[in-house]
Amino acid sequence: MRIGVFICHCGSNIAGTVDVAQVAANAAKMPDVAFAVDTMYACSEPGQQAIEEAVKQHKLTGVVVASCSPRMHEPTFRRAVERAGLNRYMIEMANIREQVSWIGKDKEANTRKATDLVHMAVEKLRLNRVLIPKQIPVTRKVLVVGGGVAGIQAALDCAEGGMEVVMVEREPSIGGKMSKLDKTFPTIDCSSCVLGPKMVDVAQNDHIDLFTYSEVESITGYVGNFEVTIRKKAPYVDWEKCTGCGICTEKCPNKKSFDRHNEGMGTTTSINIPFPQAIPKKATINAATCRKLVDGKCGVCAKVCPSGAINYEQEDELVTVKVGAVVAATGYDFMDWTVYREYGAGRYKDVITSLQYERLLSASGPTEGHIKRPSDGKEPKNIVFIQCVGSRDVSIGRPYCSGFCCMYTAKQAILTKDHIPDSQSYVFYMDIRSPGKAYDEFTRRAQEEYGAQYLRGRVSTIVPLGDKLLVRGADTLAGQQVEIEADLVVLAVGGEAAHGAPQLAEKLRISYDSYGFFMEGHVKLKPVETNTAGVFLAGACQGLKDIPASVAQGSAAAAKALGLLSKDTLESDPQTASVDLKRCVGCGKCWNVCPFGAIREMDMRGQIKAEVLEAVCQGCGLCNATCPQGAIQLSHFTDNQVLAEVEALCRC
Amino acid sequence: MAIQEQLKKMILDVLPDVDCVIGWGPGPDPLRGSPFFMRKPEDVESFMAGPMAVQNPALFLPEYKGKKVGVVVKGCDSRSVVQLISEDLIKREEVVIIGFPCDGVLDVAKVENALASHGEPGEITAVEFSGGEVKVTLAGNTHSLKFDDVKADKCGRCAVPNAVMSDFFAGIAREASGVKDDYEDLAALEKMSLEERFAFWENEMSRCLRCYACRNACPMCVCRDHCVASSRIPHWISQADSTRDKLMFQVIHAVHLAGRCTGCGECQRVCPVGIPVLLLKRTLSKGVTELFDYAAGMDTESKPPLLTFQVEEATIKERNW
Repeated sequence: MRIGVFICHCGSNIAGTVDVAQVAANAAKMPDVAFAVDTMYACSEPGQQAIEEAVKQHKLTGVVVASCSPRMHEPTFRRAVERAGLNRYMIEMANIREQVSWIGKDKEANTRKATDLVHMAVEKLRLNRVLIPKQIPVTRKVLVVGGGVAGIQAALDCAEGGMEVVMVEREPSIGGKMSKLDKTFPTIDCSSCVLGPKMVDVAQNDHIDLFTYSEVESITGYVGNFEVTIRKKAPYVDWEKCTGCGICTEKCPNKKSFDRHNEGMGTTTSINIPFPQAIPKKATINAATCRKLVDGKCGVCAKVCPSGAINYEQEDELVTVKVGAVVAATGYDFMDWTVYREYGAGRYKDVITSLQYERLLSASGPTEGHIKRPSDGKEPKNIVFIQCVGSRDVSIGRPYCSGFCCMYTAKQAILTKDHIPDSQSYVFYMDIRSPGKAYDEFTRRAQEEYGAQYLRGRVSTIVPLGDKLLVRGADTLAGQQVEIEADLVVLAVGGEAAHGAPQLAEKLRISYDSYGFFMEGHVKLKPVETNTAGVFLAGACQGLKDIPASVAQGSAAAAKALGLLSKDTLESDPQTASVDLKRCVGCGKCWNVCPFGAIREMDMRGQIKAEVLEAVCQGCGLCNATCPQGAIQLSHFTDNQVLAEVEALCRC
Repeated sequence: MAIQEQLKKMILDVLPDVDCVIGWGPGPDPLRGSPFFMRKPEDVESFMAGPMAVQNPALFLPEYKGKKVGVVVKGCDSRSVVQLISEDLIKREEVVIIGFPCDGVLDVAKVENALASHGEPGEITAVEFSGGEVKVTLAGNTHSLKFDDVKADKCGRCAVPNAVMSDFFAGIAREASGVKDDYEDLAALEKMSLEERFAFWENEMSRCLRCYACRNACPMCVCRDHCVASSRIPHWISQADSTRDKLMFQVIHAVHLAGRCTGCGECQRVCPVGIPVLLLKRTLSKGVTELFDYAAGMDTESKPPLLTFQVEEATIKERNW
């Protein structure tokens, strides 16, 4: 074998703390190395050309590039050696940037470690074999998980691009958080008026198959060929027959059910349609409160339903669909603000969340758009808004900024003045963060035109004072304590990943951060991709963002899915496991540990052996590590390749 | 011995339905029993249970996969059978399990050590067990030893004197002594620093002959002719005669047994040079018990924790779900 080694300077990123020329000189002495050189930027056009030329000139059969993490540039260098006529798997990378130059300042030690890593890569490369990817057919269909505004946009754009779409939403209606908003910033236009038509488009689009009140049960398969099992939760109403007339909701005798759509600001009936613009406009029975389902006595809705749609015996249904790509758009939820004892930990009726306040502002809300405080239904005059409740607070493990609260608080202050002209709003804030287009002007308008009094500081306590709440806090700009007698306190509660997001991430096999937000493929360059091929992200599931950003990301994810599925076939990754039948004793440990169900038992002349389904195998290597006799080997990461690396490291 | 007679009757009853019944018979000398394969009714005459039923007959079961066999088991042996069934290495319906209450087995090495000054092991002409005593006739003289002094170490910490699972059971199940395995034998090892521990193992392994008796006596080692120890692809262990390669094999063996080893101790018993290889396996067993609350060979429905894939382990909370 003739190996060429290229040590990248990465400008001064690597060369600043690693003697790259010395590493190249050391590499030249390693076994099978025919050529070694340091290069300014291996990934640049001249850098890649130099690799191609060296392959031809020195008749190289393998290449080691010592530079950055393979996550970003392994595909780059694979393409480079392929252009030079080599198999794309005859290249190895040594990560001497993230693992060496960026983490140590001692140039001498860094140079030694870089040499070690290059030596390991060389030893592994010596055992690399030519691997040829196969072509696999793809299913030209996209699954969108989550029917909020990001998911809706992704679904509509995919359908527009000629793709079939399956949308799964766990609530009975699509619309997400945006459907609960009264108005949107910075234009104060009606939220349901701009979202409604898009929701109707989803319902009317022939290419979109909508599953609401449903959840993703499991996903198997791989890019281009996912198989998704969807659990359609039983609404106890036959949605084929339900016309959404709403007679059942008028007659239901139990009117004390928790109203999810109104965030508990009112109660609703056990059978209900969440809101007038719901898509689909179908009734759902709350099994926890329905008298018929709880103790078998009632059945009024079945009696009054003109289409005979009520079915108390209905059970969950599992549906399986095949898709080629997945867009995760599961959005966000609000953190449990009752951890804040200083705000009453949920004991005071007139301390509410901003989304609850939004329902009070909304004409379709429980108060029909009249602001009435929960305790006694009186119109509040003094309203205190507290920002950063559960955002930017290290003490409760929420160091991040939720990003949209400054804006919606300003919006709510403006709307409050519109609704109650003789009211006074006070906003306790830490910093006003309004970097969007026309955003800062908007927050200024709330203060200057609508008279909202902004107080920079935190609230230390809220205590009841007669039928009012005494809000005690600091105004750090004036350098004094302030006390406000409030009729209503609205908390700008920070967002967190949607409940159940990590569990979905595990099913999708994508990474998530410690807060449950899904990890994008690259913070800057792959914001809607994930590290799992064929799975894309849209909206707040990737990190909290406002409506325009969510819509933009929905379109971006759709563009990625459309691009991926624009071809009829995809290349399969040949880095899969394979069984040496001579060594396999059929003990079955491999198929027990395989997370993908990619290994099955087979019979070979009366003997039990393991068989890898190449198309399903994801190359994770669990079977390889488990097989006691080493009969299963993972191509490109065989035991002997890993041992050669370890050996190189130990012998240095 | 009443139990022995009951067992013989059971074996005779089972014999027509099976290929053979595996138990114990006379060994090469009066101090040793031997694994014994009974195919004909007359074979059963020489069957013997008791303190010389030392070997683990579960060892032979995987070879009989596809045929029906009977097996007589002590409590510890039965755990190996259960483990083999739980891993689907043998089939429950292909094995007839005959259990009996075990009073402990002899550690031959302890007897030989105790009598070393009185003569050569080859001069033993008779061994008799009665009332907690072992009477050994050596070079014409009879020596009396306390059974507790010469029984196997594992019997001292035994919590399963009866078969965990059996189709037939001779006699009345013995009450477990209530002893809890506190891994006392590991205490000295755990006290050592890493360097001391490595030196300890280098010293022990320097005697290793690479005979692989430890592997061949292990009922859970089912790879047999396909062991990584004799493979170049993959090439985990070199053919060099080095202590580290010898230790490497023991480490691989122990890791392959993590969560599977039932602690029968056959590996250590058969070692011709007396290397305490069971300590390695017990170290891992202790870890598996602490981490996964799992003991191998107690339940055919359970799966060894390291041979399953679960997103969230019941006992390891990585996420606050």
